[in-house]
Amino acid sequence: MITFFKVVWGEAIKQHRNYFHSKTIYISLFVWPLLSFVTAYYGYLPFEIETAKIGYLNGENILIYLLLGYMCMSFFRSLVQSAWNFSFERQSGTLEYIYLSPGNRFAVLLGNALSSVLESMIVMLVFGIFLMFLHKEVLRMQLGTCMVVFCLMMLMAVGWGVFLNACFLFSRDTDFLFTILEEPMEIFAGVKVPVILFPGWAKIISLIFPLTYALEAVRETVLNEASFYELKGFFFISMMILVLLFGGTLITIQIVEKHMRKTGNASLF
Amino acid sequence: MGAKVFFATVWKEFRVRLHAYPISFMVSCLTTGIYTNLGAWLMYHCFFEGRLSSDFSLYAGTGDYMSYVIVGSCTYLFVVRTCLNVSRTLVTELREGTLDSLMLAPFHRSAYFLGNMALQTVTTSLELLISVLIGLFFGLQIYHFSPGKFIIAVILSLYGFFGISMMLGCLMLYTRNTYITQNTLFSLIFLLCGITFPKEYLPKALQYIGALLPVTDAVDLLRTSLLGGMTAEDWSATAMRLFVLSSIYILMGFPLMEKAERIALEKMEG
Repeated sequence: MITFFKVVWGEAIKQHRNYFHSKTIYISLFVWPLLSFVTAYYGYLPFEIETAKIGYLNGENILIYLLLGYMCMSFFRSLVQSAWNFSFERQSGTLEYIYLSPGNRFAVLLGNALSSVLESMIVMLVFGIFLMFLHKEVLRMQLGTCMVVFCLMMLMAVGWGVFLNACFLFSRDTDFLFTILEEPMEIFAGVKVPVILFPGWAKIISLIFPLTYALEAVRETVLNEASFYELKGFFFISMMILVLLFGGTLITIQIVEKHMRKTGNASLF
Repeated sequence: MGAKVFFATVWKEFRVRLHAYPISFMVSCLTTGIYTNLGAWLMYHCFFEGRLSSDFSLYAGTGDYMSYVIVGSCTYLFVVRTCLNVSRTLVTELREGTLDSLMLAPFHRSAYFLGNMALQTVTTSLELLISVLIGLFFGLQIYHFSPGKFIIAVILSLYGFFGISMMLGCLMLYTRNTYITQNTLFSLIFLLCGITFPKEYLPKALQYIGALLPVTDAVDLLRTSLLGGMTAEDWSATAMRLFVLSSIYILMGFPLMEKAERIALEKMEG
């Protein structure tokens, strides 16, 4: 067990040194999400916000509504990016070394995902809390429920990251996965438009992204005073998702390793 | 001499693009256009069910939100593609190791960049055609098409996009970074230039910064030549401003590019 955590920690440190050697990382971690958040906010202004069909939404709290969306999305998105960066590991030939080492494969993926979630979270979280503090009159939340939901969301984000990392182990040509997951997540997970108002086909697509469920629950707790009891559906679903993601990862790792043994070279396939 | 370099550049770039770079790059640019349209469609039809606030048509000059956004996102697509192709050429040469041989050859700066611009205009126009077809599906309607204004707007916009990509190119060659510079600029353009919402909603300070980017005026000109909503005097004033602004960009861009090239060549080994 101790070796498992050693591997997790080692990978997390490696990841940190890999990204934070240059200050430009803060631009992609903070400036880009901030710019797209501000753009989305101004994108609402051409509409009459008061007439929106979501009960608790009005002109005052739409900013916080959107902020929660962009904050949660930036956590999940940082994982898509870290998974994408993991595929460079293959190109530079270090993936082979990881496979040659006795380290647990799952621990490597977990360390990678954990470090990118925690590091990308902090800047956005500080900004988010600051902005919420400025608009605290629109917040209607119970702190306890909020903390639990937040922790569950982080767990889901890590699970999602680990699963993506495992998928990216499969093939060299992973750019297309990035295209599929990056922008559709913003549209279909309900960051800007609540999923409940989607047409049927879009609702079905939204079910794929764990962010959809997490976002719904976070908004309900912060803006609509949802209690533990009202969120029992979310707790059930998030448990299911966590089991699916972590289970799926373990199975994928097995398949990948078998596949690599058969095809030979990790850096070529 | 200049013409020879121009045609050689066009031919070289065409061959490079045909052989070395896969179509996936083009596909990813197209999907960005589709997602922007889809996002706007969901906002307009599902979230707010077509209830625009009263000041929208005042600022936008049209009451048709979908057409407004689609024309904006097509222009945005064009800017992004121009910057990706024209600005990045010299950095790509540097990375591929051909920059020094390019500089040894009788290199004609303006012909080289114009060649790149010409090829990229042709290829992007083809992509844009597909985007417009997708736009029609999302509800694009052209109300007040004035061919004369449209042609002037296109020429001036290309002039402006060329200017902005020269400046970006200098920055890229100097910092030797494409990922951060290009994406930061694209996010800024998307926020400041009135792509998906009228820029009048922004605070005054941001509007002034937006006015410094030629894209703002280019979007306005293109949009009003298709959808109407601007008086003739305003239109020609905006066109004049765009021309002057772009000329400043280009006049500053070329000498700066020469400096950046020199620095890049000196730093090449280290």
